[in-house]
Amino acid sequence: MDSYIQGIFMLAGINLMAVLGLSLLTGFTGLFSFGHAGFMAIGAYTAAIMTSMLKLPFIVGIVAAGFTAAIFAYLIGRMTLKLKGDYFCIATLGFGEAIRLILDNFQGLGGSRGWPGVPAHTSMLNIFIAVVIGVLFLSNLVRSRHGRNLIAVREEELAAQIAGINVVRYKTLALVVSAIYAGVAGAFLAHYMTFIQPKMFSLIKSTELTIIVIFGGLGSISGSVLGAVVLTFLPELLRAVDKWRLVAYGAAVILIMISRPRGLMGGMELTPNGIKKIIAERKAKKAAAQRSEP
Amino acid sequence: MSQENENILEVQGLTKRFGGLAAVSEVDFKVRKGGIIGLIGPNGAGKTTIFNLVTGVYKVSEGTVNFEGKSITDLEPYSIADMGVTRTFQNIRLFKNLSVFDNVFTACHLSATYSLPEAILRLPRFRREEKLLKEKAQGLLEIVGLQDRADVVASNLPYGLQRRLEIVRALALDPRLLLLDEPAAGMNPDETEQLMRLIADVRDRFKLSVLVIEHHMDLVMRLCERIVVLNFGIKLAEGSPDDIRGDARVVEAYLGAPAPAGGK
Amino acid sequence: MTQFFQQVVNGLSIGSVYALMAVGYSLVYSIMNFSNFAHGGVIMLGAYFGFYAMTLLKLPFLASFAVAALGTALLAVAIERIAYRPLRMRKAPFLYFIISAMGASIFLENIVIATIGPTFRTYPEVFARTPLSLWGLSIGRLDLIMFGVSALCLSGLVAFIELTRTGKAIRAASYNIKAAALMGVNTDRVVTTVFALGGLLAGVAGVFFGMKYTVYPQIGVITLKSFIAAVFGGLGSLPGAVLGSVILGTLETFVAGYLSSQFRDLIAFVILIGVLVFKPSGIMGKPTEDKA
Ligand SMILES: Nc1ncnc2c1ncn2[C@@H]1O[C@H](COP(=O)(O)OP(=O)(O)OP(=O)(O)O)[C@@H](O)[C@H]1O
Ligand SMILES: [Mg+2]
Repeated sequence: MDSYIQGIFMLAGINLMAVLGLSLLTGFTGLFSFGHAGFMAIGAYTAAIMTSMLKLPFIVGIVAAGFTAAIFAYLIGRMTLKLKGDYFCIATLGFGEAIRLILDNFQGLGGSRGWPGVPAHTSMLNIFIAVVIGVLFLSNLVRSRHGRNLIAVREEELAAQIAGINVVRYKTLALVVSAIYAGVAGAFLAHYMTFIQPKMFSLIKSTELTIIVIFGGLGSISGSVLGAVVLTFLPELLRAVDKWRLVAYGAAVILIMISRPRGLMGGMELTPNGIKKIIAERKAKKAAAQRSEP
Repeated sequence: MSQENENILEVQGLTKRFGGLAAVSEVDFKVRKGGIIGLIGPNGAGKTTIFNLVTGVYKVSEGTVNFEGKSITDLEPYSIADMGVTRTFQNIRLFKNLSVFDNVFTACHLSATYSLPEAILRLPRFRREEKLLKEKAQGLLEIVGLQDRADVVASNLPYGLQRRLEIVRALALDPRLLLLDEPAAGMNPDETEQLMRLIADVRDRFKLSVLVIEHHMDLVMRLCERIVVLNFGIKLAEGSPDDIRGDARVVEAYLGAPAPAGGK
Repeated sequence: MTQFFQQVVNGLSIGSVYALMAVGYSLVYSIMNFSNFAHGGVIMLGAYFGFYAMTLLKLPFLASFAVAALGTALLAVAIERIAYRPLRMRKAPFLYFIISAMGASIFLENIVIATIGPTFRTYPEVFARTPLSLWGLSIGRLDLIMFGVSALCLSGLVAFIELTRTGKAIRAASYNIKAAALMGVNTDRVVTTVFALGGLLAGVAGVFFGMKYTVYPQIGVITLKSFIAAVFGGLGSLPGAVLGSVILGTLETFVAGYLSSQFRDLIAFVILIGVLVFKPSGIMGKPTEDKA
């Protein structure tokens, strides 16, 4: 394969990794984050410290990236997930920006000028393996009682409580798992670009990740995969109109929210079982419509 | 001792203030094991608030709530549910975008014990328990006659069936005390009649105790063995349906006469 | 000591601009219970409207001000119509409002980048740069005017909410929008008014911001800080928003003055974390118990 195309594939895989985590948080649990680029930054810098400074193997860097991101996520979750409404969003937003500002001012890690010379460990193969593990983990998680509890929290928080679901604990779980995905994605990104800079992890990056989840459809893993691949390739192919890309994203997000809020594949999966389920629901709906007619 | 065992729920001096306003004040009542108790009163009397206090949705301002002899006064809603108290909501709260089956299936989760890693690795315990949960959900749907609509998305269900679904979802938790908030609201007489039979039936089948809020007097009078009447957050009267029917204060409260002394 | 008062003066002037911005977030929050992140984009466009009114249309200062404020008021109302009203009609969950707001904010920022470009633009000089000397303090003319006009605008807002019929409806709706609707308050009108008011102030804030610094599409960090000021004061509380803004503005100038200007932008986030940990309802917000 042509190395340009290969590069885009790797980038799509990295985006997908982060998007999968966010899909769990936003799509399945109904929490909205403005700060996942912050977790990516933590992952990227942690992994770079491991491989570039300490000369440890890449896998150690990846594990450390996920672990560090998880710790931050846990602390933020403890602080804010008990609170109502917007406060979680606000906290993630503050977190993402604060991480970036701190890295900007921390000369030991290159400051705002960035950190060059991170080893190029990311390859087509290791990304592919990570993504496959990521997808399997997520799809097994959501198709278990734990995953159903997350979905219940999204659907109707109070009813979930009354059904014996510890809402705060499950929200924390979703946040921590999603941060691990973001941290790992950050590690891969650092070792793909071989150069990291705080600017790469800005608010716009966080919102782009969320946009991909929304495009793909809330509550759909296959949607997230589709979204990440399409929305990584499209801008590369349409370089000429790049400056209009985010304009279109913004407009599309509003359009999706007001017309088809669950996104392209909301709640549906492109798997044999998923398709069966869609058909069954269609049938049931038709049958119900017939029943209600006299 | 025997007294304690007889009552599944004991509420004492229960008070809830919102700002300066007491929505519920100094309410006492008990629910006998296996009993069906009615909670009635005009709009805004504080009935739903009592449900919210018992199930831990609101923090109690004063007073105690004991379930099976243990205090549940300051517990979180999920642990109260875990102990065996569950409820339905006045303004139905289903998992709207999920199918009828998934609504019940989700609520069965307390009957399984497999951990997260077991689920991720699809270990034998996961498979075994998951199969049992499915059967349990299926069985529950059959009991209330929703099995034909298992695949219907909950929000597409007719109103009366949504209320019914909320009741089965509550039953999926294997509760010992079930709180029903206006289960017959918006139902026609025919549906109300069926609902009444359903409540009596599940009470016997699952050995439940029931506390029910209802405005359909006919239903309350026929279904409940005891009735607690609230007005302005205060317990106005308590007794058998016949006592309540003949109570002048209750009639007055319902006809909208001036508030009785002690109200505000 | 003089330096101390000098910092206070500088802090008050930047704090008053934060306040104009923060009030817009709080107004919407008090009625609709979500953080309207599109407000930042509206403020940014306010700065551009003022800039072009002065440079292209060659309007005098006050007229440019009016053009900017009216433009942003219309813009804010339009955003409500397009991005939020359909969700309100559907009683959509809070998550959708936030996502829609984010979409609007991305749209506004990037349409400016795509059309006008990301470059910085400098307002023509309206007030002489030479500062006034008062009691040994040097006070920028612009700072003084910023403070004065902001105070005037905020007083006007308070008067409107306290004294007019519409203001009364806004207060009723902020207390409980459903109950207000039942009692005959036209909630659509209340929402429109609230967005228009927030938009007006956003225009004023945008122009001041542009005059004091420069105009560029990514002023998001600044509007974000004003939003944090609103959280600090207690989301939904107008006096809280003003108080939070003034404290934030003053703290920032102190940190920049006595420590290092590098840390200035971090203050807001330190405050944010403190608020979230110790008092999420902010200085003047009311803790609420959700109705079940
Ligand atoms: N979260 C809350 N905040 C403030 N006041 C509340 C809250 N919940 C209930 N109230 C008030 O408490 C009082 C009792 O309300 P409650 O919902 O318990 O009445 P109810 O008896 O269930 O009435 P209905 O028959 O209309 O359902 C009302 O005045 C209500 O406004
Ligand atoms: Mg009620």
